[in-house]
Amino acid sequence: MNAPFLIAKGITKRFGALTALSEVDLEIRSGEVLALLGDNGAGKSTFIKVLAGAHSPSDGELLIDGVPVAFSSPKDAASAGIATIFQELALSENLTISENVFLGRELKRSVLGVPFLRRKEMKERVAGLLKELEAHISDPQAPVGSLSGGQRQAVAICRALNLNAKLVIMDEPTAALAVAETRKVLSLTRRLAERGCAVVLISHNMADVFEVADRIIVFRRGRKVAEKMRSDTNPEEIVSYITGAHPDVRALEKTN
Amino acid sequence: MNRVRNLQGPALVLSLLSLLWIIVILGLLALKPSALSVGTITTILQFSTILALVSLGQGMVILAGGAGIDLSVGGTVSLSAVLGMLVLKAGLSPFFLPFVCIGTGTALGAFNGVLVMKLRILPLIATLGTFFVYSGVALSLTGGSAQSGVPDWLLWWGRGVLAGIPVPFLTIAVPAFALAGIVLAWTSWGRWVYAMGFNERSARLVGVPVDRARLILYSLSGTLAGAAALFSLAWLGSGRPNIGQNLELESLTAAMLGGIAIFGGRGGVGGVFAAVMLLVTLKTGLLQLNVNTVWQVGIVGALLIFVLLADRFSQSWR
Repeated sequence: MNAPFLIAKGITKRFGALTALSEVDLEIRSGEVLALLGDNGAGKSTFIKVLAGAHSPSDGELLIDGVPVAFSSPKDAASAGIATIFQELALSENLTISENVFLGRELKRSVLGVPFLRRKEMKERVAGLLKELEAHISDPQAPVGSLSGGQRQAVAICRALNLNAKLVIMDEPTAALAVAETRKVLSLTRRLAERGCAVVLISHNMADVFEVADRIIVFRRGRKVAEKMRSDTNPEEIVSYITGAHPDVRALEKTN
Repeated sequence: MNRVRNLQGPALVLSLLSLLWIIVILGLLALKPSALSVGTITTILQFSTILALVSLGQGMVILAGGAGIDLSVGGTVSLSAVLGMLVLKAGLSPFFLPFVCIGTGTALGAFNGVLVMKLRILPLIATLGTFFVYSGVALSLTGGSAQSGVPDWLLWWGRGVLAGIPVPFLTIAVPAFALAGIVLAWTSWGRWVYAMGFNERSARLVGVPVDRARLILYSLSGTLAGAAALFSLAWLGSGRPNIGQNLELESLTAAMLGGIAIFGGRGGVGGVFAAVMLLVTLKTGLLQLNVNTVWQVGIVGALLIFVLLADRFSQSWR
């Protein structure tokens, strides 16, 4: 097994008197899909916001390739190779696919300080990425407004790849998708990991998680309560961790 | 799907506007054939210059979204013109007049931008407030009287006509639109304006400097209003404290009519240009037919409502 890309040590996040995350330790490895599970309010969203640089932890540290890092903004996280695909996807429907993939970091040719777009190169690069992902979108110049939910996910993944992301965080990527689209996105997720990316997947859908994840971590009330390889567990056990019915969780919660 | 979108695009707006324009011209021709002459075209283009510059700024502010609107344009034009003339009277060299007008406009626009982006006041309210402030100050500084004394070299530029086309129209209105069109279509700044206009959250998430861009666009709207003020001085020969009257209404109408969506993110400057031509031709035609000026404002207002309705229906149809 290769060395972890990112290590979180004792990550704690407090909002005033509320402790949203408490002493979370975990490792994220390249080429692996890690699923974060937990009920609403369990702390998984807070945790990925810490990873994405949107929140800074109250305590604990993040190490990337063994080096401690501190993010003060999502831009810092992005430049460290962490890309987040948000639930609302952050795409502009009035722009084309290639314009969306490059939005905010267009390829340009500066003429008298005015950044002119290099449309052709951007288009070719996006066409290549789409093909590599087998996303079945033929025209990078199509407006994003005309795409289906799954195709939009593919565009968002393209954007992450285009940033040379080493860790892609996907927040509920299949929540609003039809069955066929869900399959497509799950296979995109796998392909992302096969390319050597580390993938963190947040989902409420147990079937999705068991299909695509290599490792599963369960959050409950701001703590990490379980960490299992997929092959060592089953959906019933994971559900009992999430709801707190599992004996281990009961024992843990009794001691506090 | 793609074909429908293309029909919805700028090409549709432009062809509709041209059609309307031809109808207006034909109507005028039928009612008063003597009205159409080279002189009339020159007049139309002279009137267009002010509205074109102001509408361009208005259109870009709206395009960038965030409920952006600049109701203060009329006040900005009046105050920039008046202030230019007052500074001239106070003894400043006439050479600086263009800088004073355009600088004043930019500063007034930037103030709008600060109110909206830094102090987070709703654009409609902020610019309504500054509209009253700017036009009120213009009136009170002059007591309501026109300020004469524009230098001859400026009049020479402002009243110059080249082959029936006014020189200021060629030297500021056309280049301003060309530049804006190029920047919007071909540069990453243009993409950012469309992105933030349509979906502000997503633009912020990918790191588009939304606040800075909007601040610049409000200032730019002021700059263009300042340039319009300068032209009004050069054309009319005096600084009138009410020169900007009704410009907010007319520039809004031109922007909407030109296909810029009121919520931002859709439209282009070509349509705005065509809409300005249509509006001014309509107004000039009404003038030629001796329709009371009071009615002209009413007709522009009715046109604005009609355009917003058309926009809404075309969206639900989509």
